[in-house]
Amino acid sequence: MAYIELKNVTFSYPDANQPAVKNLSLTVEKGSFTLLFGSSGSGKSTLLRLLKKEIEPNGSFSGEVLIDGEPTSETGGGKVGFVFQDPENQVVADTVLHELVFGLENMGLKTAEMRNRVAEMVHFFGAEPLLHRKVEELSGGKKQQMNLASVLLMQPEILLLDEPTAQLDPVSAREFTNMLVRLNEEFGMTIIVAEHRLEDFMGVAGKVVMMERGEAIFAGPPEECMEALWKSEKRAFIPSLPAFFMSVGGKGRVPLNVRDARKWFTSSDISVTGKAAGNKKSQAKSQTVLTVENVQFSYEKEGATILKGLDFSVEKGSFYTMLGGNGSGKSTFLKIIAGIHAPQKGKVTLNGTRLKRLKREEIASAIGYLPQNPKLFFLHDTVGKELESTAEKWGKDFEDAFAIAKRLGIDHLLASHPYDVSGGEIQKAALACILLRSPQILLLDEPTKGLDAVSKKELAKLLLECKSEGKIILMATHDVEFAAKYANRCGMMFQGIITSESPPETFFKGSFFYTTMIQKLFRQVDGGEAVTVEEAVRQCSADPLQPRSS
Amino acid sequence: MKRFHDFHPIVTFSYYIGALTLFIMLLHPVFLAAGFLLILAIHYMDDRCRGLQRWFFFMLTTGLFVLVLNPVFNERGMNLLFTVGSHRVTLEAVVYGGMSGISIIGIMAVFVSYNVVMSPNKLLFLFAKVLPRFAVLLMLTLRFIPLMRKRLTEIGDVQVSKGLSVREGTLKERGKNAMGHIQVLLTYSLEEALQTADSMKARGYGYSGRSSYQHFVIKRSDIAALLYMFVLLAILAYGRLHGYGWLEIYPVMEAFTFPRKEAVLLAAHCLFIGFPLIVETGEYISWRILN
Repeated sequence: MAYIELKNVTFSYPDANQPAVKNLSLTVEKGSFTLLFGSSGSGKSTLLRLLKKEIEPNGSFSGEVLIDGEPTSETGGGKVGFVFQDPENQVVADTVLHELVFGLENMGLKTAEMRNRVAEMVHFFGAEPLLHRKVEELSGGKKQQMNLASVLLMQPEILLLDEPTAQLDPVSAREFTNMLVRLNEEFGMTIIVAEHRLEDFMGVAGKVVMMERGEAIFAGPPEECMEALWKSEKRAFIPSLPAFFMSVGGKGRVPLNVRDARKWFTSSDISVTGKAAGNKKSQAKSQTVLTVENVQFSYEKEGATILKGLDFSVEKGSFYTMLGGNGSGKSTFLKIIAGIHAPQKGKVTLNGTRLKRLKREEIASAIGYLPQNPKLFFLHDTVGKELESTAEKWGKDFEDAFAIAKRLGIDHLLASHPYDVSGGEIQKAALACILLRSPQILLLDEPTKGLDAVSKKELAKLLLECKSEGKIILMATHDVEFAAKYANRCGMMFQGIITSESPPETFFKGSFFYTTMIQKLFRQVDGGEAVTVEEAVRQCSADPLQPRSS
Repeated sequence: MKRFHDFHPIVTFSYYIGALTLFIMLLHPVFLAAGFLLILAIHYMDDRCRGLQRWFFFMLTTGLFVLVLNPVFNERGMNLLFTVGSHRVTLEAVVYGGMSGISIIGIMAVFVSYNVVMSPNKLLFLFAKVLPRFAVLLMLTLRFIPLMRKRLTEIGDVQVSKGLSVREGTLKERGKNAMGHIQVLLTYSLEEALQTADSMKARGYGYSGRSSYQHFVIKRSDIAALLYMFVLLAILAYGRLHGYGWLEIYPVMEAFTFPRKEAVLLAAHCLFIGFPLIVETGEYISWRILN
């Protein structure tokens, strides 16, 4: 018998035109690992929340939700643990220990019992040294682990996670995913996770559910799902390894991780013949717009030096991605170029003029900065007003602003509050305001964080358009696949300087961890030099199927 | 001051309450001076007075201010020291001002030490049992103050990149920009707080009786410390009620004698204020002997 059962569930929010979840039936077995995916706004979060009574959304509901044969409205949500997306916002207390025991205190447990549970859990997570630390001192990944631990302490039988790794860097995300796999395998915990990061989760889930406009359009094993998706138009959701497998018409079981993919590849009769690079012409040296020389920076006088003598330059029409671990100084570097912080040593030159000689407005007109959290960008309560005031400040017509909004496909959002639109949309809205200033350089801090596959594609298209207009794009990212696919130059930031820099083809070839799935697959293949799916396909077939998208 | 920090919060809390009371109640030059010196010694032992240094200027000016101000406004008293114009400066007023001054800077020094030793965690722990709701509120506040500060800097950074700075432009522009920032901070924080509320609800907040995780356990040494302080306070209270440990100034200033009973009381006073010192010294000696 199914452990969790949804029967014809329909739910709509008040004042919504369409139901958020529409006539959905789904069963989840005890001890299974289920992945929910689909574009933003497809009803994944709503569905998860319907399973946890305490945070059930308000609205009209019909159908039945049964957990262990009983309707949730009667049993309450004691069996169900819930982890949210943002590591920061779910934290209540200022120290780790207080945060961990928050749920236990709410249950009214005795101190001795709490101590036992905490001791055990801290051991499981290896978090003893963190116990008395302040929450703010932890990295995002550690914070999210703490949130998970706090929920696990309440000993739930079912764990629901709403995009738990969306805000994490790939290494922390991997660590978090492994933790979930361990909980599922060792303790038989039933896990349902909604995620966009499919490269990681597709390989570990036993069952995947694809949602679209509130409906589950596919539910079943991931391999079958990949095949079904390949036949539909939603190929954007297929991770690179299965995508490669199906592009070359592979036979047998669809591989979801590098190990299986390599096994299939070596046993198949596909040979590496063509060239990966295709007909990409090497760029002629063009004019250098921005140079950074020997920049040093620290936030506090006595504090740690973040940038240690960094040199950097970027030419017109570049799409530069900067990779590197957390705290390596990527964000700080972007802020220095944007003129937000002044370096203590060294100089930043824009078009031959020192940045510090320029007025704030002059910098802003030449350089646009999109922060990691686009919500902080908006000063006005609708997208339209923000655009209008930007237009006013920079002496543009509102027609121009509207044209840009239309081009970015956000003209229907002008009357909405920026916080009410999806992650991809708010980012576009902020970009619209930046593009209205028609800057030469676009700085983007982690723009692909938390975006679904479709929004990512749209963002890439937009950025490539800007690039073809001669704008420089400089982004800090953890998203290796994105960088490999679209950038024409990649740099590695480590300990406050850029340690290596080259085009993505050569950049990723040498890396071991910081590289794409395809490169991991091709690493030990003779002559294999592909980094992206397109390159791999081109290498494995005599005549190129499609030109590289750049 | 490791040993003193490690006492149960109720012990440290009682100590500070007691020390404050003594500084307020025992207005006697000798008692005050002895108490103040001991507090200084405690500070020295704790962090070589580094914590106190930040307050040094403030404490000195406040002390001097009180010392000077009392004779300026107060002409009462029999023992005339000198006159400035028609203004009488009396010994009573000077002594009274001096005592108030030391009392005030003593209280400040106690508070500085309190801030170092009584971490918010300990305070939270003390209140969690009596006022559980208040404790949650306090916890949230402790978390939100640094969070809001961080967010405000982030907002400032982003707006600067848009060419809107609170540090440039006319006063009116700057004010307008700053108001904008605060508005964003509030909207943003409210929006994010909804998620915090969900996370609290998801972990069962507000459904049944709340308990509190006690990471401090009352040990025998804590009880001994409490008893020690209680006995000393009882002696001091008894003495104070019988007119010792207190210099009578008005209506008639008492002769400056120091009877034996007062000496006993002074010993009790020093033993109380110097409690952290005694604990530390004891710890140091036993450490030396054991090793």
